[in-house]
Amino acid sequence: MSFFSALIVAVLFSVGVYLLLQRTLSRIILGLALMAHSANLLLMVVGGRAGKAPILGAFGPEDSVADPLPQALALTAIVISFGVISFLLAIAYRSWVLTQDDEVEDDVEDARIAQLGEAEMRRWWSRPK
Amino acid sequence: MTQRRSVILDLCVQAEFHTLLLLSLYLLFAGHNQPGGGFAGGLVASCAFGLRYVAGGSSALSRSISIPATTFLGVGMLFAILTGCVSLLTGHEFLESAIFSADLMVLGTVKTSSVLFFDIGVYLVVLGMSLLLLQQLGGADGTDPDEVQP
Amino acid sequence: MFVLILAFGCVAAVLPVLAARIGRRVFYVAAAVPAAACIWGIWAYGQISDSGPLIEQAAWVPQLGLTLGLRFDGFAFLMLSLVAGIGVLVFLYAGSYFHTEPIIGRFAATLLLFSGSMVGLVLADNLLALFLFWELTSITSYLLISIEDEKTAARSGAMQALLITGMGGLAMLGGFVLLGEAAGTYSMAELLARPPSGSVVNFALVLVLIGAFTKSAQVPFHSWLPRAMNAPTPVSSYLHSATMVTAGVYLVARFTPAFADYSVWRPLVISFGLASMLIGAYRSLRQHDLKLLLAYGTISQLGLMMLLFGVGTRESIFAGCTLLLAHGIFKAALFMLVGIIDHQSKTRDLRKLDRLGAQWPVVAAAAGVVAASMAGIPPLFGFLAKEEALGALGETGFAWGVPVLIGVVIGSSFTVAYSARFVWGAFGPRPVSMIPNQDSVRSEAVGQQVPKPSKIFLAPVFVLAVLTLLFGLVPSLINPVITRAYASLVGVRAEHHLALWHGFTQALALSAVAIGAGFALFWWRLRVEKLQDEMPKVPSAQRGYDRTVKGLLEGADAVTGFVQHGSLPIYLGVILLTMIVLPGIPLLRDGVMPDLWFADSPMQVVVGLIMIVCACAAAVARRRFAAVLLVGAVGYGMAALFVIQGAPDLAITQLLIETLGVGVFVLAFRHLPADFVRSKFRRSQGAQIAIALLAGVFVFLFTLFAIGARTEPSISGEYLDKAHSQAGGNNVVNVIVVDFRGFDTMGEIVVLAVAVLGVAALVRAKRSPAEVEP
Repeated sequence: MSFFSALIVAVLFSVGVYLLLQRTLSRIILGLALMAHSANLLLMVVGGRAGKAPILGAFGPEDSVADPLPQALALTAIVISFGVISFLLAIAYRSWVLTQDDEVEDDVEDARIAQLGEAEMRRWWSRPK
Repeated sequence: MTQRRSVILDLCVQAEFHTLLLLSLYLLFAGHNQPGGGFAGGLVASCAFGLRYVAGGSSALSRSISIPATTFLGVGMLFAILTGCVSLLTGHEFLESAIFSADLMVLGTVKTSSVLFFDIGVYLVVLGMSLLLLQQLGGADGTDPDEVQP
Repeated sequence: MFVLILAFGCVAAVLPVLAARIGRRVFYVAAAVPAAACIWGIWAYGQISDSGPLIEQAAWVPQLGLTLGLRFDGFAFLMLSLVAGIGVLVFLYAGSYFHTEPIIGRFAATLLLFSGSMVGLVLADNLLALFLFWELTSITSYLLISIEDEKTAARSGAMQALLITGMGGLAMLGGFVLLGEAAGTYSMAELLARPPSGSVVNFALVLVLIGAFTKSAQVPFHSWLPRAMNAPTPVSSYLHSATMVTAGVYLVARFTPAFADYSVWRPLVISFGLASMLIGAYRSLRQHDLKLLLAYGTISQLGLMMLLFGVGTRESIFAGCTLLLAHGIFKAALFMLVGIIDHQSKTRDLRKLDRLGAQWPVVAAAAGVVAASMAGIPPLFGFLAKEEALGALGETGFAWGVPVLIGVVIGSSFTVAYSARFVWGAFGPRPVSMIPNQDSVRSEAVGQQVPKPSKIFLAPVFVLAVLTLLFGLVPSLINPVITRAYASLVGVRAEHHLALWHGFTQALALSAVAIGAGFALFWWRLRVEKLQDEMPKVPSAQRGYDRTVKGLLEGADAVTGFVQHGSLPIYLGVILLTMIVLPGIPLLRDGVMPDLWFADSPMQVVVGLIMIVCACAAAVARRRFAAVLLVGAVGYGMAALFVIQGAPDLAITQLLIETLGVGVFVLAFRHLPADFVRSKFRRSQGAQIAIALLAGVFVFLFTLFAIGARTEPSISGEYLDKAHSQAGGNNVVNVIVVDFRGFDTMGEIVVLAVAVLGVAALVRAKRSPAEVEP
């Protein structure tokens, strides 16, 4: 297990989380892309040691071979995350068409409930005991 | 498209376009034994069309291919599902593979598996997806989405 | 018995259709069902006198060992004849009460369902089936109270009834489950024959009693009953006399022979019963609405019944059975009378009613008889019940017997007073002056010319009045029924006789005291009312209910507002922190550190460093396209890492995807401003960085421990062996993707197709929903 590959996974994930917590939709999408990279790499790293490509005939009997199963899983994951990110990009595009910016606003309904709740809370605490 | 088009890029793309398509087919068919496969092949083909778009905009893209992108999606899905169903009909599990070998006199013996058809389906779906993305996101100029021509 | 219960449901289903054709005559059709139940009951009563109780079993959920058992014994007969007998009269009465209202069909059907669920309740032997019918009565009574659903008061009253009895029902279910598990059976007969022991049983009994108290409107859960007065009078009449509220009393009566000696039983039942009797009667003395007066009277009478059953001696159980029957008869008649008065004179305010007695002498006489029965005046059935009660309480032999007896005598005198107030208020002259400044009320006085009610409208009242008189004069008519009911409760055949004249006993003296005091209270009623007005106001149960409900709603708002404030970053932050903390703690505790080395190859370090730098730069980039390209560079780095790892397929795919991906990013972002806009939201960068760092540390540790957690060799060895022989391919990754795990890939391409169709839909959508053509 290589210490350095774990470090790469962690840094990619960390930066991804940071971008995910932003208000700008395009940065959120970039964050998700980084997190997807991190997850794919995690699959590979956790799957086992590096080795020869798992192609029959390309390695000898005493060579160590990379585990093909995580590779197949990661292959699927790469393409899927591409599809998901394309979809999110279309959402960002749509958001820009509608509002001319790509800032993620607070949910209007939620905010109304929150206001209601805050008012209740204030009444609750200011109620004469 | 009001920008100036680069002649060099245009010519290079003209030259490379078909080469790339060939490469994608090679990756598709070799995928079972060498690195490659339906995903990689489909993506190379997508890049070929992407280059077309970069060089000539969406008009060049629509000139280079007349089949709607959704047709690729649909046919690809059909390929994949039918492959599965054929193995069902012959009394095997869904998507279970069968190996064929054919002796083509001049070209030698070709050995292949029924999953090749499944891989062709994957190839077509990936290509259809990329084409649709290029057409939709690339065609929309943002100020008026109504002008987008599918 | 199953057929009987099903008949209620089946007939109810066709009633609305029928009502559309024959109007209010539908009530006479409906009355046939309880009438059939009565006839069946009398037939079955003959059966059980020869050979023990009738039992029917049906498999309900055989996998869980649940059987739906029905059991018909003497007490069930008493209840059934009450429910079905008064049911028949209520349906006949409703036939005159309503005219052509559109709700008739719905009303008749719901009332029949209500009646049927009550019949099921008294026949059920399985505790869970009992609960089922119990809740059915709650739900149908909710529908009945709110049947005139355009009235706010009816809706809120119905909701209050449902909330309170529903809450009690849930508590009761909990109690039933505890009892059933402790006893190993859910059959009530078996449970009562061999009551379980242990401290959990006491707790279970408290829960069951909460259910019984809420259903029988005992203080402090009584507030729903007066508010249920918004229902049409036939409902009130039925609900107060034979159904719904008697369910709680029924349950206590069933349980008391087995559980009276448990430490919680007597103190709880007796104290709640006595409190309800006194408070109900006291509050009844100051009501002006005849219906409310009777409603508080019901609470008081139910309290007495609870008390009698709760004491649990043989005599008191016998007295309880007698009172249950007597109360059913007179209370149904009284409510029907109020309904008639309300129906004919359009008011039931006793301050407005003037000398109805002079116009309707016969009606007034009937009202006098039933009210006297309620007051316990000889020679009526109510008197017999009151005598039995006072007699039983006089000889309990417990230390608390005397105070309870005194309490009951006081309650009885209140009862006499409010009975007199009822008759005088309804049929006597208008009160001269009770409260100043009520000219407005008086000016609307009615009573000069009230149309006479039809004979058929009055018939049910007269039937009940005759019954209460007949049972009082000739107790031997009803004595066997009560004796059998009582015998089936206590389990032994004991002789006990109802009689009008037991000789000069303590009970007779106490009755006389109560009647005398009651009339005195009535005579000086103006002073009593004044005194009541001067009493300090105690918080009413209604206020308590309102506050509880309001507090609950406000609390829900506050909690929702706190956890759901609408900010996406905060939602994500909370989710991420949960992800870090919950698995993080066991990870640190149980994680196994694997053997470590620094890197697989020098190349890995170089590529990795470039990736890290690019990622960090992407995080702080100001320009949009710079960020996109930096993330793209990270993607190419991924491809390089895949090569080092020995995954050429992945490397090719990653490379191509990244190329295409950057293109798509550019296409989507090209209209957006080149720089990221400064957010107008207040920034909490410190928290963001902290969460990001925590997530990084967590993922780092997770990655290290994940490899250490591996205990089995990879299953890929098999794939390597079989790839060529079974799938005819040398590229094992590709074989896995398209063959071994082909179904996954199928799902994947479906996802891709759906995602890209979504993209197309989003891009081609119109600018705002308003622009979309219809």
